[in-house]
Amino acid sequence: MLRKSLIINPTDTVAMVLEDALKGDTIQTPQGQTVTLLSDVEFAHKVSILDQKKGNPVIKYGEEIGYLLEDTPAGSWIHTHNMDCDRGTK
Amino acid sequence: METTFMGYRRPDHTVGVRNYLAIIPSVFCANTTVEKIASQIPGSVPMPHVVGCAQVGFDLELTARTLKSMACHPNVGAVLIIGLGCERFNPQELLDAVRETQKPVAMFIIQNEGGTSATIRRAVEAGKEMKATLDQMKREPCPLSALMVATKCGGTDATSGLAANPAVGCAMDRLVAAGGSAILSECNELLGTEDYLARRAVSPEVARKVYDAIYGIEDVLRSGLDPTLPANRNFLISRGNFDGGVSSIVEKALGGVHKSGTSPIVDVIEYATRPELDKHGLFLMDYESHDGEVVTGMIGCGAQLVAFTTGRGNPTGHPIAPVIKITGNSRTFHSMEENFDFDASSIISEGRPVDEVGHQLLDLIVRVASGELTSAERFGGTELFCVGRRHGYRRKTREELWAGHSCPL
Repeated sequence: MLRKSLIINPTDTVAMVLEDALKGDTIQTPQGQTVTLLSDVEFAHKVSILDQKKGNPVIKYGEEIGYLLEDTPAGSWIHTHNMDCDRGTK
Repeated sequence: METTFMGYRRPDHTVGVRNYLAIIPSVFCANTTVEKIASQIPGSVPMPHVVGCAQVGFDLELTARTLKSMACHPNVGAVLIIGLGCERFNPQELLDAVRETQKPVAMFIIQNEGGTSATIRRAVEAGKEMKATLDQMKREPCPLSALMVATKCGGTDATSGLAANPAVGCAMDRLVAAGGSAILSECNELLGTEDYLARRAVSPEVARKVYDAIYGIEDVLRSGLDPTLPANRNFLISRGNFDGGVSSIVEKALGGVHKSGTSPIVDVIEYATRPELDKHGLFLMDYESHDGEVVTGMIGCGAQLVAFTTGRGNPTGHPIAPVIKITGNSRTFHSMEENFDFDASSIISEGRPVDEVGHQLLDLIVRVASGELTSAERFGGTELFCVGRRHGYRRKTREELWAGHSCPL
């Protein structure tokens, strides 16, 4: 089913789901693109809206919040298992 | 919008939103005595802590500054100081500071009074007289420009950055526009936002102070990392933040700065240190630590109230300042409703305009300033009173701090 989601800044590479969503559910971007979730995603967690490569920046609020540790096709749940951020830890 | 609140005018021209008799130990050795005195004076506020001795340098300076700023705070109408007699922090320094504010104050030193019982007896007698005087005082209409609100997040999830913090930011913009002040701090959670914040500084020198603060905090944090420990000992972000969908400190920071609104940053101020008298507006306080130390430092800067956002839920309070609990998470609001004062979740669930919700929040802030009790006050929460600490760290120069960073200034 279609789930509520939010993209904060037009340059963002991720959307947030505004309700708990299941694998196979969809979200829609403001441009009308439909993204199918590749796994269950909890409320307020991030989903990649583009096919991305390992090392690419993750953009939210229009700013870089970290980088990808693996290739993440559109619809991937993005969190600490597949992104990292060096700031404040090194 | 309300343009005044009902506050207590102090002899030093500050304005309180509460009128407490505070009972403050100059050292932790006096804590039990302080608690026993407070138990015999209904309505008084004991402020036990864990510091006051075996400290040197900036760490002892932070203790001195914090205890003085609590005792001199406008929400405190009168003070009992309880010392031991041999502590590193001299209780006379605390007494002298309070005397300058011209509010009622008395000091009792346990080693001079002849032990716990005699100290309690004399302090209770003096305290009861002070309390009777405070109970006669009346609130008077005061302008919003006399208000300073500390902003803080704790137990953050992604809704804090989406709804609660933008609502607080909007309320702070309105407060600043009315001549009042707001404080942003917890610089450990501003890493990665320094360029954005520096662009909001009123002058190049204040912009440089923004970089000093954030690079300085990063240096403090880096000095505490230990690669021989398990990797998660070196995380600067809590488990609950991760569970809530926040994946990095920069993501958390970008959501966190929303609560400062959009006003220019008029100055970067130090821990528990009041801004210059003629300065009003948005301040950045240079400090990092957990909620308690940061909130206490901002109250020490003169904030009479705290706007505290939490997506995960948080029951904490401060002994001398109301802490207004705000959430953007409707699920958390409904599961912990007794711990909240304000629900901003309609920004997410109904798409309600942030401006409308922020306006409503400022109305609540004004009502609380005028005496309406917060949830944390009803529960008697005091755990946010924590004195800032800085062990074994020498504050570095700008040149040292900026080395290795690509600061554009």
